[in-house]
Amino acid sequence: MRRLFLLFCLTVASPAWAGGIAFIVNSRGPSISVVDMATLKEVSRIPTLREPHHLILTPDGHSLMVGDTAGNQMMFLDPNTGEVQKRMPVADPYQFQFSPDGKLLTVNGLLRNQVDVYDAASMKLLKRFPVVATPSHLTYSPDSSTVFVSLQDSDKLVAFDLRTMTEKWTVPIGKTPAGVLWLNGTVLVADMGTDHLAQVDPATGKILALIPTGKGAHQLFLSPDKKILWVNNREGGTTVSLDATTLKLIRSYSIPGGPDDMDFAPNGKIWITRRFAEKVAVLDPASGSYETINVGRSPHGLFLNPKAPSPAVVSSR
Amino acid sequence: MGDPFDLSAGWLEEHLLIPMLYQFGLMNWEDVSYSWVLFALYGVAQVAVTFAVCLPLEHWRPVERWPDNKAVWVDVAYTVLSRVGVLPLFTYVLFYRAQVFVSGWMTDQGWVPPTLEGLFPVLLGQQMITFVLYAIILDFADYWRHWLAHQFRWWWALHSLHHAQRQMTFWSDDRNHLLDDVIAFVWFGVIALLIGVPPLQFPLLVLTLRFLESLSHANVRLSFGWLGDRLLISPRFHRAHHGILGAGDRSCNYGAVLPWWDMLFRTADFGRDYVQTGDPSGEEALATGSYWQQQRAGLRRFARTFGRQHARHGS
Repeated sequence: MRRLFLLFCLTVASPAWAGGIAFIVNSRGPSISVVDMATLKEVSRIPTLREPHHLILTPDGHSLMVGDTAGNQMMFLDPNTGEVQKRMPVADPYQFQFSPDGKLLTVNGLLRNQVDVYDAASMKLLKRFPVVATPSHLTYSPDSSTVFVSLQDSDKLVAFDLRTMTEKWTVPIGKTPAGVLWLNGTVLVADMGTDHLAQVDPATGKILALIPTGKGAHQLFLSPDKKILWVNNREGGTTVSLDATTLKLIRSYSIPGGPDDMDFAPNGKIWITRRFAEKVAVLDPASGSYETINVGRSPHGLFLNPKAPSPAVVSSR
Repeated sequence: MGDPFDLSAGWLEEHLLIPMLYQFGLMNWEDVSYSWVLFALYGVAQVAVTFAVCLPLEHWRPVERWPDNKAVWVDVAYTVLSRVGVLPLFTYVLFYRAQVFVSGWMTDQGWVPPTLEGLFPVLLGQQMITFVLYAIILDFADYWRHWLAHQFRWWWALHSLHHAQRQMTFWSDDRNHLLDDVIAFVWFGVIALLIGVPPLQFPLLVLTLRFLESLSHANVRLSFGWLGDRLLISPRFHRAHHGILGAGDRSCNYGAVLPWWDMLFRTADFGRDYVQTGDPSGEEALATGSYWQQQRAGLRRFARTFGRQHARHGS
């Protein structure tokens, strides 16, 4: 009876989400911190070759791809355990994303000034687009027909037609275009050299509006329920929330230490890498306070896998 | 507890450099400035450590005492300029870009760029061990660069600026002609590319090797003993390389950090004791001129080598 009672208590008292692994890419580590999402503690570090920056999940969910730029290597990790599955030579993989239909993989070679489009299934290079300067962030149109790439060391945004594999347009967009995101039929570009996002017509590249967010607008993310747009401002040291429909500012949060990438936990908290502080902030948007996790040098990309077993369980296998 | 250098660099980046870059519309330099400030901090620390270690040694047992050490101050300027400003910026920015270009090109051709960790996977994640191994390889490469600088007339003309100092101290390691420095950086950079030195380790490797080289230039009667002198280059060993050559003398001791290469290729001389330094064959400006006078004198000597035949030199 006592055991049944204990089992009942554990079942009821445990939150629906009670574990999981966070992967934090330490660009200067060079390594990947594996963090227990339940305890907010780093439990292990996976060494990488030279300088990893970003990571994404493969469309089948079986692998986490980590791009090592100076190592010219794509690492594939098991998203449940962090175990290295394989390594593949890929030139300068800085930012990369699968197209929404899962058929293409676009890889931005930041320092090699190239945008590579691969067949996602075979990883065969289909097309290389040389660009004027430092392709940094990218986003797709929902029908996977176009990819939009910010050229950070120029003032430009470029659009490539992925059906004809040709350039559609290149337009000046601001001082230092960084994060890009497709939202409600437009493309939003964070301009790190100013304090705003540019809202761009995807057909023509024309700027439709400028949306103030904070000094050094760098990276932008849509909440899982698609209601809130989150923007990290590098110079201002702030993270702001905007209404995703009206693009009106809701609230600003102080996140010092160079806020960069973010991901959303099932408990509503937002994980943000703090590039210059060797830390990750776990922000509670309701209270505005955040907890801090110590990680490696220059944390950049991050990925949360709340469904993974806790790292303690993994290590005991 | 994080890395104090990285955290300090992050603080400076966040509170000083980014606001400045933002103000002047230069945010596209954000990544470069972040790396530069880190290596500049390493440079500051390295100069401070060199100062803290070498200055007491030079006061303790100097080889020579000079009534006026004005010539040393120019060497101080060389050191600060080189280690805090130019060296971190160039070693990182140029090497990084070259590394990305070359290794990316190789990857495109289907070749995996060479790295120690690629050859020996057990080294992956062992940063301290790979750091030491890369340092040994680079020191070997530097031995040959230095030996060659003494073989070619035009190269010696540039390198003789380094040898002209009669008041040799730990500050003297960086007194080089700018062209000689460029050659050394290219040489180091190419070797580092070939062996796959991580771009973020390269400036640190250069600074570490340079610390030991500073010590070897110190104006101090210091030997590491029979065995120690054969493991690591001491001020006594390197001073012999800077010595004024008498009739029948041959230049020796070209190594920078490890004497192993001199021993292996029979250029080591452990017998010369605390000789006088300098290069009597060069014009006086090379020894006692201001920074720019020294640079111009070096350039004149360099230009002359293309006009006249000189005997091969090796000081």
